[in-house]
Amino acid sequence: MMDRYTKLQTAGIYAAIAVFLIFILLPFFEMFMASLRPLEHLFRSPYQFWSDDFSFQAYSDMWVTVPLLGRYILNSVYIASMVTLLTMIFVVPAAYAYARLDFPFKNATLGIFLGVNMFTGAVLLIPLYRVLRTMGLLNTYWAMIVPGVAFLIPTGIWLLRSYLEKIPRELEEAAYVDGASRMYTLRRVVLPLATPGLIVVGVAVFIGAYAQQFLFAITFNQKRELQPLPAGLFEFIGYQDVTWNQMMAAALTGILPVMLIFLFLQKYLVAGLTAGAVKE
Amino acid sequence: MATLDLTSISKSFGSAKVLHDISLAIEDKEFVVFVGPSGCGKSTLLRIIAGLEEATSGQIFIGGDDVSDAHPVDRGISMVFQSYALYPHLSVYENIAFPLRVQKMDKPEMDARIKRAADILQLTDKLDLKPGQLSGGQRQRVAIGRSIVRNPRVFLFDEPLSNLDAALRGDMRVELSQLHRSLDATMVYVTHDQVEAMTMADRIVVLNGGRVEQFGTPMELYHHPKTKFVASFIGQPNMNLIPATVLGTDATGLSVEMEGGHRLVLPVEATSVATGDRVEVGIRPEHVTPGDGGFEIEVNVLERLGGVSITYGKLRDGTRFCASLPGDARVTEGAPLSLAVAPEDCHVFDASGDVLRRKAAPALVA
Ligand SMILES: Nc1ncnc2c1ncn2[C@@H]1O[C@H](COP(=O)(O)OP(=O)(O)OP(=O)(O)O)[C@@H](O)[C@H]1O
Ligand SMILES: [Mg+2]
Repeated sequence: MMDRYTKLQTAGIYAAIAVFLIFILLPFFEMFMASLRPLEHLFRSPYQFWSDDFSFQAYSDMWVTVPLLGRYILNSVYIASMVTLLTMIFVVPAAYAYARLDFPFKNATLGIFLGVNMFTGAVLLIPLYRVLRTMGLLNTYWAMIVPGVAFLIPTGIWLLRSYLEKIPRELEEAAYVDGASRMYTLRRVVLPLATPGLIVVGVAVFIGAYAQQFLFAITFNQKRELQPLPAGLFEFIGYQDVTWNQMMAAALTGILPVMLIFLFLQKYLVAGLTAGAVKE
Repeated sequence: MATLDLTSISKSFGSAKVLHDISLAIEDKEFVVFVGPSGCGKSTLLRIIAGLEEATSGQIFIGGDDVSDAHPVDRGISMVFQSYALYPHLSVYENIAFPLRVQKMDKPEMDARIKRAADILQLTDKLDLKPGQLSGGQRQRVAIGRSIVRNPRVFLFDEPLSNLDAALRGDMRVELSQLHRSLDATMVYVTHDQVEAMTMADRIVVLNGGRVEQFGTPMELYHHPKTKFVASFIGQPNMNLIPATVLGTDATGLSVEMEGGHRLVLPVEATSVATGDRVEVGIRPEHVTPGDGGFEIEVNVLERLGGVSITYGKLRDGTRFCASLPGDARVTEGAPLSLAVAPEDCHVFDASGDVLRRKAAPALVA
């Protein structure tokens, strides 16, 4: 297995990985560098990559410049968690039904779900605004959670369905023959076997929820104390100047919870790609 | 009493009809094997008996009760799947306990039943392992364990041994036969392996294209196959079939001329054929002996298995012919070989594949 590639091929593969990683990680690195610089160094010309007086000053100043920063980060995590939780509650039975049951318009509805996915929230903002206003949800957490859930359910169903389809049907038939109900089978057999898949889908939904907050927050919510981080970052843009270094520091701090979750779940994510091979 | 009766079971998937009007009466404590080529509907029939699939028409009776619309548990069946269908995340104990947990059985009773099953199946020291840590044969035993704890009236097996290697298959065959004896239960067993069918069955159902070709004891099928299909399916190596023409019939039997010119008078009931009809003469390889009986073959391949030598060759007219001769028979590849067969060992099939009943055959049919 390991010697399948020649040295040259290996070098090529690593070079490609390096280019790819640099492309993805460079913005983060630059964010990090920017967060360490004093503000005036950011506008030096010619641009200097290396500054001499790096400091973590911005990481303490940012809490003063934007006093609600902590609250914003918590809001972000709270909204994304709620979206993930609610989405999973809807997605699990739906995906199972799509994977195993036969019902009218099954493929048509799946297609519609995929179609909905192609609309970004942006084109639906105005109708959504009216819906949320009618329901009296504007300027509450729900204004950011409900649309988030709605837009992530299709993705979740598509991802989880293909995972559930890989669980051998005979396992469920065996459970059925032994007298287990559908719900019992789902709970005792299907979901435990689908755990890696559930984690993969859960993480994908969480990231999706984290990323889409901004749009919903700035349109459906005026209350400062309910804003998530991406909207809160605007407060670093002052009348006189923009404290870029603090903004970068705050953004990095805000990503931290997501990164921690990733580190923690990484082994499940990798396992999720190989598991499911249930029978030989 | 767990008799199993099927009356006129038919099954269609959309426009494809896969089972045609199948009626069977299986007796209490009988070990019945469904055998037939791939795609003939064995699994479908078993799944209908299990209640996993609904018959398009017909009824199922277990112990005399109409269970056609009943849930598998209420039918009193349990099923062992070809892939074992063990739950990989549960221990062996929990796998076997699954049907009992569904019933919410009390712990002491459950423990006792699982212990008994584990004893029978030699799994006592494996109860804490996961299925992934077991060998193929042990997994198979766990699957069987799960099916016996519920004390079902009828056991259904769908090719339970086909994932095992040849040696293990032989062992498990014996174990299953013993299990059948010790459980005293009705068992229905699907396989496409005729050796399994012959060795384990009390009676065999031969299926072909969704129809029952014959239902009988192994020796009945061997000596009195009703059709050409059954004749060539049962027996190893397969029966030789030689085209022939009817020369005439009389009280002693049927006289035929085989392709190649050899003539025989065969003691069969020849009421359904007339002079000039085309028939096929079936000769089992093991009924052939070396000697000048009028068959001459050119030996192409010789397989010496020790006890027997299997000889594959061609008759003069090109029909393939196989003979199973004593282990040390004087045969050489490439050389001609003279063979003889007793007329009473021959089978005759008419043009539609139905047998002409043999008069002199062993009276094994009770
Ligand atoms: N769910 C289904 N939908 C449509 N056709 C089916 C379905 N299940 C089985 N069939 C068809 O029914 C026929 C019988 O299938 P079945 O699985 O019973 O065969 P089998 O005798 O068990 O074969 P094998 O020895 O290969 O297992 C096949 O032609 C198959 O294509
Ligand atoms: Mg089958």
